[in-house]
Amino acid sequence: MATFPKLKTNAVAQYPVTRALRYQNQTVRFLDGTDQRYRDGSGPLHRWIIRLSALDEGELAALEGFFLTNAGQFGSFVFVDPWDGASYSSCSLASDQMDLTAVAEMQGQTSLTVVENRT
Amino acid sequence: MFPQMSTGALSQFPLRKRRLTRTVINTTADGRTIKSQDMAAQTTEWQLQYTGLSDAELMTLARFFGSVEGSLNGFTFLDPNGNLLAWSDDPSQVQWQKASYLTLTGGGADPSGGMRAWHVVNSGAGAQSLTQTLNAPAVYVYCLSVYAKAAQPATMALLLGSHRAVCTLGADWSRLTLTGTGDVEATSVSFGIELPAGAAVDLYGLQVEPQASASAYKSSTAGGVYENAHFLDDAFTYSSTDVNRNSTTVTIVYANHL
Repeated sequence: MATFPKLKTNAVAQYPVTRALRYQNQTVRFLDGTDQRYRDGSGPLHRWIIRLSALDEGELAALEGFFLTNAGQFGSFVFVDPWDGASYSSCSLASDQMDLTAVAEMQGQTSLTVVENRT
Repeated sequence: MFPQMSTGALSQFPLRKRRLTRTVINTTADGRTIKSQDMAAQTTEWQLQYTGLSDAELMTLARFFGSVEGSLNGFTFLDPNGNLLAWSDDPSQVQWQKASYLTLTGGGADPSGGMRAWHVVNSGAGAQSLTQTLNAPAVYVYCLSVYAKAAQPATMALLLGSHRAVCTLGADWSRLTLTGTGDVEATSVSFGIELPAGAAVDLYGLQVEPQASASAYKSSTAGGVYENAHFLDDAFTYSSTDVNRNSTTVTIVYANHL
């Protein structure tokens, strides 16, 4: 399975990087104001927002190629959490759109959001 | 054909590029997803911001905009920030024309720290070439570049249309470049390398760019030639900021379903 590309420094992300986890619960509310809650998913799903700057042309092209190989949010890949090194075996990009900017030579910028898939 | 500037470049910094795909997603109640890929809905946009254009460069751009009548007619556009070659790391793909006596072995150590170099041996009695032909404007300025080395002293020719440059290779990686235009009458341009009889070399990072000098190597699979691209807008707006200095911004879009 494909793996999210690393930068030349061998890092996956740069600061600032955002990480979120999300549970999926349901709440049934009753007429008397009480409610009953239950889990609607088997566990939390993670999400990472990876903003990258000062990329050289090769790094930017590698990320663009990764987006195209995955066809946006269609494909899935292995993602290693930059916080703790945990490996998530089924992740996807969160969007069908990728913006790449070359501000100057070796000053590429882009941002990708990775989401963990429910398996 | 989209005009190059007088420097031979297609664009200036900053260059913005947007890739769009389309995925149809059915999300089930437990959060799992079933996805379908819409292969025919891929779109690429480039926003080209020009500043400091001479009057002649601006008029060339304006005339081109008029010739395609804004967004109406298509034209061939070369990715200004991409490698025009397809499968630049895999010369065994069908896009490459390999002479029959060339032997290619992949997986060698490359100068970027990866394992994407190719060992190429010419076992024939004459010169053998490895080329790729692009349906790109022949009158453009192109830069062909490649990293190469040879364990034994060897020569290798870079090929760009009818231009060729013979280089001597050493035991260490060096980046070789050849800048030139295609043949004026041609509708395509061929790029590649040629090895003399008995030569054995290591290659990495074959790249073609629509500009006069080589930039950092960019691995590619699809290539950077976009036939039937269009302007996004029907309006062409420009500002004159000083004598012989002009600025404008154009957006070009390529959709693979058009």
